Amino acid sequence: VRFAFRELPAASGGVLTPRPVVDISLEGLALAPVECLLDTGALRTRMSAELAPLAGIELAGAMTEQFFVGGLKTVGALARVTLTVSNGSDEFSWDAPVWFCDPWPQPFGLAGLEGFLHHFTVTINAYDGYLDIEPAGTEM
Amino acid sequence: MTVSGHQFDFDARGVQEALRHELPEPIQEHFVVINARRWPPKQVLALITGLDRADFTTHQARRAMTRLGFPAGRAAGHKGARGRPAAAASGSDAPPDSPGEVLRPFVGQWVAVRGEEVLVAAPSPGEVVAWLTRHGQRAQAMFRVVDSDQLITGAAPQ
Repeated sequence: VRFAFRELPAASGGVLTPRPVVDISLEGLALAPVECLLDTGALRTRMSAELAPLAGIELAGAMTEQFFVGGLKTVGALARVTLTVSNGSDEFSWDAPVWFCDPWPQPFGLAGLEGFLHHFTVTINAYDGYLDIEPAGTEM
Repeated sequence: MTVSGHQFDFDARGVQEALRHELPEPIQEHFVVINARRWPPKQVLALITGLDRADFTTHQARRAMTRLGFPAGRAAGHKGARGRPAAAASGSDAPPDSPGEVLRPFVGQWVAVRGEEVLVAAPSPGEVVAWLTRHGQRAQAMFRVVDSDQLITGAAPQ
């Protein structure tokens, strides 16, 4: 499955450097896949806690951890969820630990090692501005 | 302005204000650009007049809006479509904006996108999801539009 880097407008005009992102569907929220920044340096996969109730994910009583992101202290609540990536024809789903965080200052989720990278062979072609992901164990 | 036998008095500013807290419905073919977003002409005319949409045609609604100075266009993918495909389209023949520029009107908001088209923009993900559900739409991705590198860099916590 291929994902083009996504660019955003810059405050000073023009656009920000396009970033490597993957669009990941939460089970129960398939109509709105969440844009996640590919973060090879992050252990966890994290998303805004705002998204959990929209996907019907119960966080009450979940294991939590405090951490800092972008200089802001926040709390993540762990849930095991089914995630899906699709390009319209190919689709891959997997069970993953996702930390739903509140507050969450980032405009996207973070796809880290646990929950995402461990499940895929990821090829980043930053020169041409895209990344390919292949489910682990299916490479030719 | 007379619409379906009823007399109305509104101007461009009043229309813009009336739409400020509304979300555009999916574009079928025709659209008008108001507040930097694409709107179905019939939705706009129904909102500002209170008339039933069956009381007027798309072309009457489109004409009413262009008379007020709002650009109009046809969505990409339809036969005869011209102009920019994205939600920030101006209806002009200018070259297509880059994907980043298309998102500029939505800075600070959550958006649902499909290709380079912005399906909906709203202050919260809940409103975006509610709109997608209500209109039977499926997005390619949902995220909040930022305009600062500082909000993106240094994100990795561990």
